[in-house]
Amino acid sequence: MTLVTVSNLDEVREVVNDAMADRRQVEILASGSKRALGRRCSYDLTMDLSAMTGIIDYQPEELVITLRAGTPMLEVGAALAQARQMLAFEVPDYSHLFDTSGSGTIGGVVATNLSGPRRLTVGAARDYLLGFEAISGRGEAFKSGGRVMKNVTGYDLSKLMTGSFGTLAVMDEITLKTLPSPETSCSLIVEAVDFAAAVSKISGLFATPHEPSSAAILPASLAKEAGLQESSGNDSCVIVVRLEGIPISIGNRLDNLQRLAGGYSLEAPASEALWAKIRDVKLFATPVHDVWKISCAPTDAPSLVKKIEHNHEINYFADWAGGLIWMTSDSNNLGHDLRAALATLSGGFALLVRDSGTTRHTIPPFQPLADPLLALHKRVKAAFDPLAILNAGRMHEGI
Amino acid sequence: MLMPVPDQSVIDKRDSICAKLKTLVPADCVVHSPESMRAFDADALSAYRQLPLAVVLPETVEQIAELMKWCKAAGIKVVPRGAGTSLSGGALPLADAVLLGLGKFNRILEVDYDNRCVVAQPGVTNLAITHAVQAAGFYYAPDPSSQIACSVGGNVAENSGGVHCLKYGLTTNNLLGIEMVTMDGEILRLGGKHLDAGDYDLMGVMTGSEGLLGVVSEVTLRILQKPATQRALLVGFDDTGSAGKAVGDVIAAGIIPAGMEMMDGLAINAAEDFANAGYPRSAAALIIVELDGPEVEVNVLIERVEAIMLAAGASSVKISNSEEERNLFWAGRKSAFPAVGRISPDYLCMDGTIPRRRLPDMMVRMSSLSQKYGLRVANVFHAGDGNLHPLILFDANQPGELKRAEDFGADILRSCVEMGGVLTGEHGVGVEKRDLMDIQFTEEDLKQQQRLKCAFDSDHLLNPGKVFPQLHRCAELGRLHVHKGKMPYPDIPRF
Repeated sequence: MTLVTVSNLDEVREVVNDAMADRRQVEILASGSKRALGRRCSYDLTMDLSAMTGIIDYQPEELVITLRAGTPMLEVGAALAQARQMLAFEVPDYSHLFDTSGSGTIGGVVATNLSGPRRLTVGAARDYLLGFEAISGRGEAFKSGGRVMKNVTGYDLSKLMTGSFGTLAVMDEITLKTLPSPETSCSLIVEAVDFAAAVSKISGLFATPHEPSSAAILPASLAKEAGLQESSGNDSCVIVVRLEGIPISIGNRLDNLQRLAGGYSLEAPASEALWAKIRDVKLFATPVHDVWKISCAPTDAPSLVKKIEHNHEINYFADWAGGLIWMTSDSNNLGHDLRAALATLSGGFALLVRDSGTTRHTIPPFQPLADPLLALHKRVKAAFDPLAILNAGRMHEGI
Repeated sequence: MLMPVPDQSVIDKRDSICAKLKTLVPADCVVHSPESMRAFDADALSAYRQLPLAVVLPETVEQIAELMKWCKAAGIKVVPRGAGTSLSGGALPLADAVLLGLGKFNRILEVDYDNRCVVAQPGVTNLAITHAVQAAGFYYAPDPSSQIACSVGGNVAENSGGVHCLKYGLTTNNLLGIEMVTMDGEILRLGGKHLDAGDYDLMGVMTGSEGLLGVVSEVTLRILQKPATQRALLVGFDDTGSAGKAVGDVIAAGIIPAGMEMMDGLAINAAEDFANAGYPRSAAALIIVELDGPEVEVNVLIERVEAIMLAAGASSVKISNSEEERNLFWAGRKSAFPAVGRISPDYLCMDGTIPRRRLPDMMVRMSSLSQKYGLRVANVFHAGDGNLHPLILFDANQPGELKRAEDFGADILRSCVEMGGVLTGEHGVGVEKRDLMDIQFTEEDLKQQQRLKCAFDSDHLLNPGKVFPQLHRCAELGRLHVHKGKMPYPDIPRF
């Protein structure tokens, strides 16, 4: 396989134009930290964007940053931290699951629409992409959005590009909305008799004006490994609720929530360390098995887990108030059963994140799309990449 | 504004088309007498009026699907309409198009407090969502100023904002799922009560697509718990430059207010005449900052914001100490448009966005344009996010003034783009800004957007004549230019 390093969009266009003429399929890659996500396809050519780095413009008081696609997240994080700002959706680092190192690039983060625990309350990567420039699979330069926060001019292609896994166009000059980092944070740790009780307790806490920013649920065994107080019953769970803001506010909200739910608190350092583990899925010690990411309505999560536990030996924990479940198991057919169970509930999806062997040959890593949605996806793909040159097949067959 | 030339052959078949429509929906759901269609001849951009071919008010999603299927097969255009409050002409009828009104889709289907969402039909008003959940302490965050009348389906089509979107986002950030009907008559469900479906974000791209990609037939909206406390500051400045800088200083200090609004001298006085809100009449600029959250937090942040404002040179600062006072601060701002309507026979409301730091430059530019065109302009800004609402005052009864006002507006929007901003922050392109799109976008940018349109609506039947200045046939847009003499579609040589 050929590797081509590109340093700007003009060079990207040349590579795409050549690939169109030769009908060659191109893999788009920067650091490769998320290369294991999605379907495994073979490509004629790998286009390496990791030389396209740098912050083009950062105006903290405008809450806007414009970056080259291959800028490493470490560099992005450092620049933002200096201005006490952040990407509020919390960029996760899945290198632990993929046995890779490095937290990737901003281009990869946008292309995969990966978000962390705060996604529950502040939105996903897709909510923070304001604009971009790109080369389509037609070898044409186009831009969408802008460098301002409020903009409804033309179709919101930023949404479409986020999470499209590089299958539509190659992006550069990515503009994101930033937000001030919270001054401090803490967590409230509360026990619940089981998963269902935990979800319902969290619903109660969110029905108050005390503004939790995230909420996770750890089964007793994982809670114990994470160094949290040991739970009492077999089915018991530990709820972790995060509060962020200025110190006086957090103290006040913590008191109020504790009055409602009991439990004890974790101060900032321990709380931050725990949320980093939740965000990066490091609560699973050393994953040797497949890891699935399931998104569903929070109140569906307990019955989903119960159904699955009936037939499979699993390890799991939940984020997003129950709406995101991380599940690992060496059991066969877990993916099939997850998707079947989701279909009986109010919807959702199961994504194979870590494939410890050859699971993706037996089940599509992305949840299959029903016609006519699949047909529409194909038409959208063709609108940007009619010869299926860019990362073709990464998400679904032909897409 | 030129609209696509109506297809006379369609208009000639109007009677038979109406008869057919009555077989697709109950007969009383088809409105076709000119008198009764009059109510639908414009949206809130009322300078443009047009009677549609017929108005159809379906009652079920299946009826919408059947209607769309038939229109597609018959080559009949469709213009979707929610409550008709678009400020950019997004729901302007076409003489040869069926106007598809969603007014009968007016039910809230489910309130789900445990998952913090509401499932509603698209014709429900924005404010009705909050009314349905406020007893439990919840509300729906996007609050466009038309919220008492505008529909949530229309909010999705326009990606509506409001004064609180600085902190809480636009419609797109508060939408969890939709059901939609395509021009092919297919019913699709996108998103739901879960987050981030892991496919192409078609819901994201439907949001703000101004009725060109599909018809929204159901929405799932995120609801939030009401903040415990809301307090506001009313800050006067003697010059707009310092006021603009103060807005940036607040954000640079790590504070994201729930809303941060600004008005210039003309708008301040018009609003004060109208609402008696206690605004400083001599100030060149007025900033309203609203903070919300737990009481202890708001009280601390109010002090911080006050200090920032004084350091930036504020000439007056008032802080609300009661809900009554806070509402009074807002009363002037919220009545700014009707207040300006009192001092001028007519006005045009513009809607560009600029990077906030360019605000002083923009004020200078606007006052020179005001002199050039001989028309006054009153400025109301969503200062926190750089979204401008200049109100250009004119008298439509004076020959040539409307044209002058429109040219003035176009120059303002040109300036927005030139300063690194965009044509529209929240009102949409519609017909109003359609012909200005090429200021912001290259031909290639616009063609790529239209290719997406073709993926949803290959015959350009859905809301044509809006958003895009030029319509290209999908076959033409799909042509590929491949170099090296190896072109699979050898239409035009690239080199």
